[in-house]
Amino acid sequence: MIPRQMRSVWFVLACAVLALLVVFLVWPLFNLLSASVATVKGTNQSGWATFLAEAKYRDALFNTLLLGAIVTAASTVIGVSLAYLTARFDFPFKALIAMLPLTTLIVPEVIAAQTWLMMLGNNGLITTLLGSAGIPLPSFYGWPGLVIVMTFIYYTYVYIGTLAAIRGFDVQLEEAAQSLGTSPATSRLKVMVPVVMPAILATSLLVFTLVVGNFAVATILGHKVQLLSVLTYLSFVSEVGADPVMQSTLASASIGIVAVVLFLQRWIVARKRYEIVQGRGARATTLKGLPAIALAAAALVVVVVSVLPLVTVVAGAFTHTRGPVMYWGQFSLASIERVFVNAPDPIINTLLYASTATMIGIVLSVIASYVVVKKRNVLTPAIDYLIMLPMAISGTVLGIGLVMTFNTGWLAMTSTAAIIVVAYVVRRLPFGVRNASSTLYNIPNSIEEASISLGVPPLASFFKVILPLMAPAIGAAAVLTWTTTVSELSASVVVYSAGRETTPIQIFRLIDTGLNGRASAYGLALVVMILVPIFIAVKFFKLELFTAK
Amino acid sequence: MARISIEGLSVSFGGARVIDGLQLEIPRGAFFTLLGPSGCGKTTLLRAIAGFIEPDAGSLRFDDQDMTRVPAHRRGIGMVFQDYALFPDKTVFDNVAYGLRARKLEPAVIKAKVGTYLERVGMSGFDARFPAALSGGQRQRVALARALVIEPQVLLMDEPLSNLDAKLRVQIRESISDLQREVGITTVFVTHDQEEALALSDRIALMNEGRIEQIGAPESIYTAPATAFVADFIGAANLIEADVLGPGPLPRQAVLRLDGRELVVFADGPVTAGKALLAARPEDLRLAAPDAATPNALPGTIERRRYLGFKVSYRVRLPGGRVLAVDLHGQAKEPYAEGQSVSVVFDPRASILVTR
Repeated sequence: MIPRQMRSVWFVLACAVLALLVVFLVWPLFNLLSASVATVKGTNQSGWATFLAEAKYRDALFNTLLLGAIVTAASTVIGVSLAYLTARFDFPFKALIAMLPLTTLIVPEVIAAQTWLMMLGNNGLITTLLGSAGIPLPSFYGWPGLVIVMTFIYYTYVYIGTLAAIRGFDVQLEEAAQSLGTSPATSRLKVMVPVVMPAILATSLLVFTLVVGNFAVATILGHKVQLLSVLTYLSFVSEVGADPVMQSTLASASIGIVAVVLFLQRWIVARKRYEIVQGRGARATTLKGLPAIALAAAALVVVVVSVLPLVTVVAGAFTHTRGPVMYWGQFSLASIERVFVNAPDPIINTLLYASTATMIGIVLSVIASYVVVKKRNVLTPAIDYLIMLPMAISGTVLGIGLVMTFNTGWLAMTSTAAIIVVAYVVRRLPFGVRNASSTLYNIPNSIEEASISLGVPPLASFFKVILPLMAPAIGAAAVLTWTTTVSELSASVVVYSAGRETTPIQIFRLIDTGLNGRASAYGLALVVMILVPIFIAVKFFKLELFTAK
Repeated sequence: MARISIEGLSVSFGGARVIDGLQLEIPRGAFFTLLGPSGCGKTTLLRAIAGFIEPDAGSLRFDDQDMTRVPAHRRGIGMVFQDYALFPDKTVFDNVAYGLRARKLEPAVIKAKVGTYLERVGMSGFDARFPAALSGGQRQRVALARALVIEPQVLLMDEPLSNLDAKLRVQIRESISDLQREVGITTVFVTHDQEEALALSDRIALMNEGRIEQIGAPESIYTAPATAFVADFIGAANLIEADVLGPGPLPRQAVLRLDGRELVVFADGPVTAGKALLAARPEDLRLAAPDAATPNALPGTIERRRYLGFKVSYRVRLPGGRVLAVDLHGQAKEPYAEGQSVSVVFDPRASILVTR
């Protein structure tokens, strides 16, 4: 007799999800990893031997690790201090800081890099202003740009993670420490810091992996600084297929780094998770006078710098330009017209691919999370693991794997729109699944059983009872998936073909040629595509986008 | 309304046997309680009857229909869950109408039936409320109406009172009992609370480690526990190791030796000489002045006295070192003091030989 769990419709769906994951994730990764041990063309050594032999690659490895360390440290300092200050103190403009997590969501990396260049690049507004005043600025390209831009993108991750941990901390522990004779400051140091530390470490390490995998900022601002992600991409595009071994080796190297870091993260989280049994959150102290002004000013600086890309991109879109030169202060609709009237294809492509990917992704997320959380069977541990795997792979790496795998053969998809959609779906699946599962854990099994006991078959019970309860989470997941998919660059730029440019790809190409006016106009389009669904979701459907994190 | 027959039922989870070859017959219309400590398999058995768990072996019948392989939604059961399991996005009316709509009844019929059952559970007028706007007791009443409105063959209740506070528990318990008698439905009720089981049930099956230790009416389970486990689980019992000498002067009696004295006790089975366990409830023991002539008594010393209002609890140490709990109810004329010597008197009808 076939066991009951294998006769259910959920087992069939679990099989389908697993099959999709194997074809579109495991297989490409396998191809990528196995190619890295082959012999490099024109030499007689393997990819790994070349990697270790050539200075270019060793530099890239070193620079990548160094950049990761610097950005992680800087993001942690900013993120943790902001989190601590907002959790424990009240000061003017504090409400603005609460909006910071939004900025990372609505400012795509490519726009962040572009707008920083428009301000501080060689022809940047601030650079020229200060230059004409006799103050020459050092070049923004290379280390300064990489560190500043990445830090201001990634510190929000640390901020969100740390804030949650500090808010969850029970102040009674601090009071207990004081009652035992330590001073308030020492108590905080000895009691709160160890409890909050795992959350800080976990998010810091996440930032490290994101820096290692970062493509947009690294490519646009890296200039002469060799970085793994840039070299990986370049070895792929230089002459497509000319150096498949090297691209695999470089991709595998970044997979290796991220794998080690993620392993470290899991180890820390598993070993050092303290349970706060019951908590009384700290009451925020209201600051007055100089400290309040100082804090408000510091917070404002962070907020302004974080929001600056948005302002710049809007301004840039309406500024008169000639070639790469921006005539700041001179209003013009030329860029807008060029983009929206003459060349709207990237926008249309984005809408088409991202909406398809979001729909597929959400259906898959709901099925996968339901199977993993509620209908466990022999397959679900594999699904559970594989579905989170894309978090550990950079977009560039995933894209190269997909191209290598679906270039030829029974499922040739290269130069179709399908491969872009596949890349989107696979990359964003972890977010959708995480969102959907978090609500599922809160829906007791008895709800579904109650429906079954009242005579409704299991699958119908799912649609009638469970799905309506998941609806808000599905809505939030859909909006988040959409916003992150619309701005996806690193995988799509690898798998796209001529005529299928998406908006971020087009922006990326325009920055390369220095056409910042048009890039800004596309940037504006992108921000609108991101903001409209968020606005509708929050305003009309009362979705809570930032609680399910 | 159906009779439930279970034969040779076995259930295992991941290789561990949770229920092992269980036999059970639940009469039509009975209020039947599965009682036992957590992990004894009572909820598993209930869920197997509901069809949420598939047994490895054995059969389950409602009257003459074989239900062993029938999926849960076609068994015609009504189920009440510990956490109420009301659909949070549906109103009280829609919750109760849910099963009727699944049966494709006419809207007018649905309306009438929902009204009737909401009235029966005392929840008329709450139709438009959402579960979140109800108290725990109200939620459980709605859950009960929802389970009963489909007129199921059997009603299954999984610790339905355990999330309620003590006062409400008694109140809802009474409603459940009244309603069950009124509807006359075969009911299987799972609980770990012995008072609940005693108060509600026609019959109780006391379960332990996936087996049934004893089935019987509340009185017989309480007064004639068959095993040490039953004696200890229901009420409190002094369990004393003793040497059985042989049958007693009357039928269903045994004589045993304890601390050098001979005691006549109740024995509900064949009596063989040797070691045995004696179960005696604290409230079935009496205290008397120390007198070697007192029949059926053991000498002892009061070690601790606790005044509890409606009773006084004594801890009495026997010369052999054993400690007995003795409860005296009402106004004990002579409150025994700590350190005082006494005789502990055993009632031959209420001191019982049990198997281990």
